[in-house]
Amino acid sequence: MTNQTKSQFIAVASITSELSAVMVVAKEISLAAANAKAIAFRAGDKAKGFQPITDFINELAKETIELVTNINIYALVLYRLTVDEYQKTAAYNKFELAAKMAEGAVYAKSMQEPVDHARLSMQDCQRQFKRDVSQLLGQLEAVMHHARAARVIAANSRIEASQAGEYLQSLQAVAESVDKAAHTIHDNVQRCRIALSIYRNS
Amino acid sequence: MKMTKIYEGSHQWIMFGRDEGKPDNIIDTNQYVVRTPNRCLLLDPGGAELFAPMMAAVLHHAPVDQITDLFASHQDPDVISSLGLWDQALTNAKLHAPAIWEGFLRHYSCESIEYVPIPDNGGTIKLESVELQLIPAHYLHSPGNFHVYDPQAKILMTGDVGAAFEAPDAPVFVDNFAAHVEKMRHWHQRMMPSNQAKRVWIERVRNMDIDILAPQHGRMFKGDDVKRFLDWFDALQVGIAV
Ligand SMILES: [Fe+2]
Ligand SMILES: [Fe+2]
Repeated sequence: MTNQTKSQFIAVASITSELSAVMVVAKEISLAAANAKAIAFRAGDKAKGFQPITDFINELAKETIELVTNINIYALVLYRLTVDEYQKTAAYNKFELAAKMAEGAVYAKSMQEPVDHARLSMQDCQRQFKRDVSQLLGQLEAVMHHARAARVIAANSRIEASQAGEYLQSLQAVAESVDKAAHTIHDNVQRCRIALSIYRNS
Repeated sequence: MKMTKIYEGSHQWIMFGRDEGKPDNIIDTNQYVVRTPNRCLLLDPGGAELFAPMMAAVLHHAPVDQITDLFASHQDPDVISSLGLWDQALTNAKLHAPAIWEGFLRHYSCESIEYVPIPDNGGTIKLESVELQLIPAHYLHSPGNFHVYDPQAKILMTGDVGAAFEAPDAPVFVDNFAAHVEKMRHWHQRMMPSNQAKRVWIERVRNMDIDILAPQHGRMFKGDDVKRFLDWFDALQVGIAV
């Protein structure tokens, strides 16, 4: 296996692991939203500004989970493509070797067609991989966007929390946990993007 | 890769083996090719490591598009782990292999090649005017295992039965049976699990007209050495590891 193939396998595998962490965190946000909603309900008028925010947080968490689920399916496709490309590259190399070893054989020329065919299907695979990586990067970008939005909401939540009297602390804790979660998502997705960006379609 | 023509008639049998480029840590194998005017059958085409030298060797005898048939006596990697590569190289080929191994062998990838399952009681492979018989040899050593008999060439290809492990430059035929025995004993005792299967197989094979007994490893047996081998194998206790 070449270093290039190895790092491709690692890049694809790392997406899945980073994303499963994102999934956990997104679920935490969803929980924080439910928690916040309950507190805001109890706080009544004092947390009036907070109530729409909790719906917003919840919505954001749901969308993130959905996105990540889709990306995971995509990552699996990418993994299969990587395996496929690895096999096709191996075949192409063996065919070339066979053609070289067959030099001087009566039917050596008949190897040309399999060699050409293997080269084309290997290149097809490589192109497909690059296309899919570009798409995946687009989807990861959407998750980043969500994470950034979540941080803005967290900041707003803090402001709203400051007006919630005795509920200040618990609402601030909600804002804190949303902010932390958004941070984690941002970092993990960023790592995915860096791992993949070298394979993007130029 | 050394090539030896072992039959020349209306069709040919060629033995390929003693590959000098083979990595030291993989087992040495013999591959056999049956060549008719427009078709070519590879018997136990070998491991993935052997694909390129094997393909190159076959190209001395047939063009790629005339390699129409592969046969795998059983599921072992030294027999057929090259399948995934043949699958990408051949556009119109069949793999004749034991039915019970289909789900296993497909792990090597068998998409463009058609898998022709051989039922437990055997069958035939028709190669133009040549008809080869697939002789059941289950539990010798694999639980799903076939040998190939060519009644015209009087060759019986016996897979792992008759195998021996030799120096890379060893001759292709046994020339001193008594000396050869020691190279076979442990392999047969350890790899062959069933005395009963062995007895049934020997009974069957004794009734065949055989000039050459052609194993997948080591040397071939010719003439009287065929009978000597059967007698020796008959008397051997196998399945010793339990
Ligand atoms: Fe075997
Ligand atoms: Fe073997």
